[in-house]
Amino acid sequence: MTALLELHQACLGQRLQPITLTLRADQRVVLLGASGAGKTTLLKLCNGALSPDAGSVHWCGRPHQQLSRRQRRQIGTLWQDLRLVEELSVIQNINSGALGRHGLLWAIRNLLGPLDPNTCLELMHQVKLEADLLEQPVRELSGGQRQRVALGRLLHQRPELVLADEPLSALDPSLAEDVLNTLLLLPGCLISLHRPDLIHRFDRVLGLRGGALVIDAAPNTIHRDQLEWLYASA
Amino acid sequence: MALRISLKPALPLIPLLPGLSLLGVLGVLLRDGHGGGISVLQQFAAGAVQPSIDPIVLGSLLKGLQITLVIAVMSWGISSVLGVGLGLLSSSTFWEIQAGVRWPAVILRRWLAPLRAVHELIWGLLLLQVFGLNGWVAICAIAIPFTVLMARVIADQVDCHVSPAIPVLKGAGATPWAVMLTGLVPPLAEPISDHIGHRLDCAVRSALILGVFGLGGLGTDLSLSLRSLQFQELWSGLWMLAIAMVVLDRLLRTLRSWSRMLILPVAMASPWVALGWGTQLDLQLAWPVAEWSMVVGNLIDGSQGFNAALEISWPGVIRATVWITLIAGCVATGLPPLLLLVWPSQASLHLQGVVWGALRLIPAPLTALLLLMLAKPSLSLAGLALGLHHGGVMGRVLIDDIRSTGLGSAQTMKACGAPNRVSWLYGPLADVSRAYLTYATYRLDVILRDTAIIGMVGGAGLGWQLMEALSSFHWWLVLWIVLISAVLTLLGESLGERLQGSWNSRAMAL
Amino acid sequence: MSARERRAVLATGLIAGLALTASVSSCGAPQNDAKQAVLQIGAIPDQNPEKLNRLYGTLTTELSEKLDVPVRYAPVSNYAAAVSAFRTGSLDLVWFGGLTGVQARLQTPGARVLAQRDIDAEFTSVFIANGASGLRPFTSADQLVELKGRRLAFGSESSTSGRLMPQFFMGENGVKPEDMAGGGPGFSGSHDATVAVVQSGAYEVGALNEQVWRSNVADGRVDPGKVSVIWRTPPYVDYHWVVRPGLDDRFGDGFTDKLQSALLDLSADTENGATILELFGAERFIPAKDEDYVMIETVGRQLGKIR
Repeated sequence: MTALLELHQACLGQRLQPITLTLRADQRVVLLGASGAGKTTLLKLCNGALSPDAGSVHWCGRPHQQLSRRQRRQIGTLWQDLRLVEELSVIQNINSGALGRHGLLWAIRNLLGPLDPNTCLELMHQVKLEADLLEQPVRELSGGQRQRVALGRLLHQRPELVLADEPLSALDPSLAEDVLNTLLLLPGCLISLHRPDLIHRFDRVLGLRGGALVIDAAPNTIHRDQLEWLYASA
Repeated sequence: MALRISLKPALPLIPLLPGLSLLGVLGVLLRDGHGGGISVLQQFAAGAVQPSIDPIVLGSLLKGLQITLVIAVMSWGISSVLGVGLGLLSSSTFWEIQAGVRWPAVILRRWLAPLRAVHELIWGLLLLQVFGLNGWVAICAIAIPFTVLMARVIADQVDCHVSPAIPVLKGAGATPWAVMLTGLVPPLAEPISDHIGHRLDCAVRSALILGVFGLGGLGTDLSLSLRSLQFQELWSGLWMLAIAMVVLDRLLRTLRSWSRMLILPVAMASPWVALGWGTQLDLQLAWPVAEWSMVVGNLIDGSQGFNAALEISWPGVIRATVWITLIAGCVATGLPPLLLLVWPSQASLHLQGVVWGALRLIPAPLTALLLLMLAKPSLSLAGLALGLHHGGVMGRVLIDDIRSTGLGSAQTMKACGAPNRVSWLYGPLADVSRAYLTYATYRLDVILRDTAIIGMVGGAGLGWQLMEALSSFHWWLVLWIVLISAVLTLLGESLGERLQGSWNSRAMAL
Repeated sequence: MSARERRAVLATGLIAGLALTASVSSCGAPQNDAKQAVLQIGAIPDQNPEKLNRLYGTLTTELSEKLDVPVRYAPVSNYAAAVSAFRTGSLDLVWFGGLTGVQARLQTPGARVLAQRDIDAEFTSVFIANGASGLRPFTSADQLVELKGRRLAFGSESSTSGRLMPQFFMGENGVKPEDMAGGGPGFSGSHDATVAVVQSGAYEVGALNEQVWRSNVADGRVDPGKVSVIWRTPPYVDYHWVVRPGLDDRFGDGFTDKLQSALLDLSADTENGATILELFGAERFIPAKDEDYVMIETVGRQLGKIR
């Protein structure tokens, strides 16, 4: 079964006008829009961090409040502020991605010392993190390293749909390319970007302007003027 | 690649580890348990529902409450103002900005430390020997250790909030005072205001304890009711105190919601308001005359000095004191996060707020008596009684911290499928663990000093020996005990500083 | 300026104003104790507060009417604090226990014993035991050795009947405090609490004032199935009134004697007198002398409570 995220006339105050949208978990979708257009709000509606004022958001046919743990962990989020657990080390943060598959005891063992280091090293290799950072506290890492720890945690969660909020904004070009490649290898994703030049690497483009969904099309059908209008001041 | 795998509990787990001691304490309780005191506990519970409403009792309690509040507010105001000043003076940053050197701060800190190491109760009893029954004795007894404790916290805060702008400002040729106003005051104002607000609650409890030991106020009534096991009268006083503390708390919160800085002028003005209020009460506030002859006269006769030191078998007494402190510290630190983890929810936060409030409200000697109704006396029981009381303080700190950081992190964890408890462990508990542990190390000092008030359970520890020496007017022994307690407190403090240091660098290795 | 800031400024202004008013009014307020001589009376804490307040409320009224001076009662909740307050002159006339009275007189040269209750001349303590301890009533004092290795609770550390004399009689029969279980006795803090901790089983044996024991029995607070008396001490002198020197200079010649007669004259025939004597648990007050307490002083010195 291909998991589905369905938004039906979902809106949120001044920030987001009613949006109807269906996301399949085998589609790579990019979300474009100027700052303040409502990209983050839309992503938060999608992962359940915000609830719509009206309308509905369903994952696999159920509203977010009623999702089982198993269903909740199918949606993974790469937050703009990363939301790492600052007091923990790299391995503990990466492992925390797997908390959805384990219980309290496993969570406590993870806090007691390095747990399952081989899996973590593999993931770190995948996101190009040096292996000697394994037990480094994340608060001592650089911005780019932290970004990759968050990505490693996301991969460890093994979600079916990834929501990523401007994952490339703080990265240098080569690092950004790596991160994007990793994200695009995942089954399905919705990624918000400020990079109209990259839309050809996605299956579908969404455009937000002033809280309204104004573009929803395949990348090859989109005209340059449309993209420029998206970023033009109102 | 070789992996070094060792047991290294991460910071969020450390507040929970002391909770393991509860297993031991529970074991002792089960071993020593006896059901013989249930009827007393029932009477105690019944007293809560049906407190005494005898007008004589209520009148006396109301007078006592006012005296306690006047003493608390006065000493709080004085210690806040002096504490901020001394705190600034004993911070390295201050001296570095002013003079480019650090040593005056170190010297001042070392000088102040012994003053802090003596419990306010002991200050009270010592000052009482010299000045007699007088409102100022109680006020000074609280204000002295509170000022110095405040100075320590503030100096720590000043030194850990060093703004990177300071060297820039200095380089730009600003005067030292201007550098401090721009670089130090803004980041510090809020934590300091919060701390000052928090100390009022502590001052009320200290004023109460001084009353328990004879310096007047509500504590006197509470302790007399407790000793005669008049639980109805006791509860009238406890309810009155609870109402007063809730009202004070609301007032402080309202003030904070207007502006967090407002607490500073309030602290400065409060001694004057309290002085005006005090004159309307049956409280001696005339400046006392010192009567040194008795104490000094006894000490001048030095022949007894050395012999007195031999009267106590120190290793045993010190061991008991340290043991009680450790158990109490573990219970106080471990219980709140453990309870939050057992039942993590918004509703539980509210309920725990009430539970911790009740534990803070009930004086430690009363907790000890109630526990004695369930189990035979032992050091662990003494530790538990003290730990429950201080757990009330730690619980409040934990809940306040979590409220101010918010529950966002728990939602993040939950969103990726983590179970509820795990979300709280990796979320809010992890967020506040560092601040919580720092506060716990401060608490450890306070607990060590508080062993003085728990003589009931087996008559063990330095605190008990001190009460015995004071009641025998054996001044040399008093001097020795105060000295040893001060040394222990300072040792505990430097241990606490080390722990803090290791937490700040990285997770502690076991 | 935002509404919030305005409120903050307003509040600051109000606080400053209030502080100013309060301090001005406090300077203006008469310091009631500064000039006028007030007779300060106090007592060691061995009653419940309701009773203490009624008792000393009535006594201050009675004394102030009889002696024609203002009398003030200051509650003290700690034995040692009462002694210190007496020495430093904060209290003029105090109802002391045997030990605390001697301590107070030794520390305050010139202080003297004024009176005691009729029951104080031959006061006794009782040892009580929890049924589960297996201890049976003693027929002679030397059976006190059976207490070795038991958990024993005294009352307050300065109490004559709840600690000093029981410990003395135990010592006479070869039982030292270190012989108790746990390395020493516990201190419940009061006679009533001793009954509670022994009855509950937390402690096996306790020692307390017989008068308090009797009133606990009379009030039905004792479960005879759980706790009973196993031994009564020989009689000794206990509670008494002690007065500071120099009252005659402050209140007029012969004041101390007048005070003594006022106490001795209390009788159940007057309403106040009846209340006071009933609350004291006595028929009347009788004269007492310093010499009556020599034995207590000896015991106090022997046990290290008097230095």
